[in-house]
Amino acid sequence: MLIKVEQFFMRVNRILGKILTVVLLLMTLNVFFDVIMRYTFHNSSVGMQEMEWHLFSILILFGVSVALLDEGHVRVDFLYDRYSEKRKAIINIIGTLLFLLPLALLILFGSFGFVTDAYQIGEISEDPGGLPFRWLIKAMIPVAFLVLIFSSVGYTVKNINILRRENRSQLTIDNEVGK
Amino acid sequence: MIGIVMFFAALAMLTIGYPVAFTFGSVSIFFGIFAAIIELAPNLAFVPVAEEFFQMFSMMPFRIYSIMNNTILMAIPLFIFMGIILQKSELAERLLEAMGTLFGKVRGGVAVSTVLVGALLAASTGVVGASVVAMGVISLPVMLKYGYSKKLATGTICAAGTLGQIIPPSIVLIILGDVFQQPVGDLFQAAFAPGLILVALYIIYILIWAFLNKEVAPPLPPHEGTRAGNIKRAVFAIIPPLTLIVLVLGSIFAGIATPTESASVGSVGAVVLAGMYRKLSWRIVDEAALETVKITAMVFAILIGATAFSMVFVYSGADYIVEETLTNLPGQKWTFLFLSMLAILVLGFFIDFIEISYIVVPILLPIAEAIGLNPLWFAILIAMNLQTSFLTPPFGFSLFYLKGVCPPEVSTVDLYRGVIPFIAIQILVLASIIFFPTFYGFSQ
Amino acid sequence: KKVRWKLAMTWSSTLTPLASPAPKLAKMVEEMTGGNFTIRVEGAEKHKAALGILDMVNGGQYEMGHSAAYYWKGKDITSVFFTTIPFGMTAAEQGSWLYYGDGMALQQKTFDKFNIYSFPGGNTGVQMGGWFRKEINSLEDLKGLKMRIPGLAGEVFAKLGVNVTNIAPGELYTALDRGTIDALEWVGPGMDIKMGFHKVAPYYYAGWHEPASDMQFLINKKEFDKLPVEYQTVLKTAMQAVSADMYFDNFNMSAEAWAQIKEEFPNIKVKIFPKEVLQAMKKATDEVMEGYAAENADFKEVYESQKAYMAKAREWTKMSTQYYLQTSEMVSE
Ligand code: NA
Ligand code: NA
Repeated sequence: MLIKVEQFFMRVNRILGKILTVVLLLMTLNVFFDVIMRYTFHNSSVGMQEMEWHLFSILILFGVSVALLDEGHVRVDFLYDRYSEKRKAIINIIGTLLFLLPLALLILFGSFGFVTDAYQIGEISEDPGGLPFRWLIKAMIPVAFLVLIFSSVGYTVKNINILRRENRSQLTIDNEVGK
Repeated sequence: MIGIVMFFAALAMLTIGYPVAFTFGSVSIFFGIFAAIIELAPNLAFVPVAEEFFQMFSMMPFRIYSIMNNTILMAIPLFIFMGIILQKSELAERLLEAMGTLFGKVRGGVAVSTVLVGALLAASTGVVGASVVAMGVISLPVMLKYGYSKKLATGTICAAGTLGQIIPPSIVLIILGDVFQQPVGDLFQAAFAPGLILVALYIIYILIWAFLNKEVAPPLPPHEGTRAGNIKRAVFAIIPPLTLIVLVLGSIFAGIATPTESASVGSVGAVVLAGMYRKLSWRIVDEAALETVKITAMVFAILIGATAFSMVFVYSGADYIVEETLTNLPGQKWTFLFLSMLAILVLGFFIDFIEISYIVVPILLPIAEAIGLNPLWFAILIAMNLQTSFLTPPFGFSLFYLKGVCPPEVSTVDLYRGVIPFIAIQILVLASIIFFPTFYGFSQ
Repeated sequence: KKVRWKLAMTWSSTLTPLASPAPKLAKMVEEMTGGNFTIRVEGAEKHKAALGILDMVNGGQYEMGHSAAYYWKGKDITSVFFTTIPFGMTAAEQGSWLYYGDGMALQQKTFDKFNIYSFPGGNTGVQMGGWFRKEINSLEDLKGLKMRIPGLAGEVFAKLGVNVTNIAPGELYTALDRGTIDALEWVGPGMDIKMGFHKVAPYYYAGWHEPASDMQFLINKKEFDKLPVEYQTVLKTAMQAVSADMYFDNFNMSAEAWAQIKEEFPNIKVKIFPKEVLQAMKKATDEVMEGYAAENADFKEVYESQKAYMAKAREWTKMSTQYYLQTSEMVSE
């Protein structure tokens, strides 16, 4: 059952990763295109230039979740490396509950006002030809941290599975030794 | 005081091994509550403390939003993407190998090549995260493959990647220009010589160390075939990445692109080059992009965690303690220089260079003026010092960034040990600028 | 009664003269209240949200802010009038409109919806039209010109075929130096000299787009209303004092900086845009302003008020200042 749940989270994560892959490629082309347009055709649109950091924002905000489930985040590991798989899993479960979740929840709930202010006032870019709907890009902050909370559930499940696997093999070893 | 306690708490928590970014964030939460209690003491009730605390953290979305629309940071994913494409298409490996074979039997050739490539990359970006990670993906696998010691390999990459901070363009220099009220162009010019000396000393150190220790940086195995053939192969391997470097640097100098935008020229160029050398496939682009996404997010997560950390650090009034301590620095030239450099180096453990620039430097400036120090010279000293703070364990950001792209067999301790000689070189150069300013073109 | 406030500035703490009024205000208020009312001033380097000032004062993270109203153009286009508009009033004219005309009332009406009291926070006077790498002799020269120029002026220039470009401030110098952009506008000699633009672009054009940029103090309404009346008066008095002070501070800095630039870089040419170009700018400005006025009643109201006031005030400016300058010109060699 929990294995199925883990697989579900991993699948969602792969899809999210695919989407962000496309976002990165779009961003790269976006910046390149703007350079070419400005230099060769003396014609650049502020809207296109703002699109660059909109794509960048999506990339960095949602990437945090993808990196979490794929173990992409950096650790100080001189002790961690020497721990058993079981101990690592316990650290990850406790860390997620005590470290990650509170931070994500704080930012999630702290950013509602930030978004609704922009929405109510109908905030747009302050530059000529810039993009409208500032609330939309601002809303990516709570959405991304909601996704991070979702992913952290997946990460916890993943580590619970590791823990159970370790316990089971420990049990087998004990039994064999017992024989 | 809380600030100091907070530093050691973060240190202790980090050693547990949970990801750095979230550990920083949660230590900040804990101390944020603490700071809120102290702020309101002795009238403690749950509601006002909670309000005070939430008020503090309601700043987070604004800070995250500032990171989001800081377009200079776009250089990070763009350079990383370029680096990974070069690595996956084996163009980077062939470049470093070719440069390495040119050294023949001399040991340390690949590391020297890495420093040279790092210097070139430094000339096109001022964002440390971008250059360290790009150098990490490009040259770490090659050095490990040829049996370089993990310490030498990672130390070289950290130091070479951090060169971007002193070799113009550079964010540190731009910010110092603002604080010192000096034209950025002048600072860029003044930083040039110290940057080159650093590169030279890195190379000399690597060659000497490799000569003394046979096993740390073995020479590349000799290739079959004639020497002429080897040179031809080398030229063939060097041309594509060289074209790319010309493209990136050239687009800045020709006024086609800003330094940040030039990274996109590099990315697109890398893909095209890989195609020309028949090394391109959709799978490579796809994998490179996904890796870029994860590494960029890793860097960004650290930035978020660090921003929460420094927010609480400042909020708890630690910056005022720093201010008070430094305002009383003595007015004799040498004591002042020594103590101010030491203070910045130590503070580099706690807070990021932006905060140091704005909190510490304005306090030092009037004293420096009173003594009659050349502001450009003093600014470069501080820039060198801040650059060093990227390398100093345990909180040096370059170390975290590089760790993020290391294979699992490289541990944090390897990195910590690896950078020490390079930090020593940094301090040496710093001292030489202090004692021989005219050598670097500063008037006294 | 002890009151402790925090004030966030849009600028970093070292960006004089824009960063000067707030710390001076804090010092004045503290001294005038015998240390009972303190204001802690934080620059952009601390809160790291230069353009989040309005939101943060509104949301109560800071009781006060120091910024410029036209940064809120994307939230409410009407806010531009409380900084400056192209071909608008001079500092003296605008100050009179604000303090003795309808200005303050209209400004408050605009910021009521943000839960904020807004007060003038210092004026830069005429801002320069910007640094250009090449001379502008005709409208044709503007076509495709790559320029960093934000806000309303950018809108006007875009209409004239200028290629309006966004560049991060940190990369502006390199971009102008290398010709990635052909021109940019910043403030005036006092602040421009620190950016070093005079080293890479020889033409310095006279202003047209920001004749009198007013800075802005923002105060959270709830917090201000909570203050004892005497503190409110202290605060208002101090705000007016530091506002006047900033005008002279900036004037002095610009005079000093220009003297220095002129001596070190005698080849820099100060130019006025050709008449043809200026007429086209004026026409485009009117179109832009009429366009906003047609779809936004609040905008129209302030626009009409400024136009009416300016018509009256300009007569007097001509008779007094302009004629005096001509007079003294006649007797100088
Ligand atoms: Na650089
Ligand atoms: Na301006």
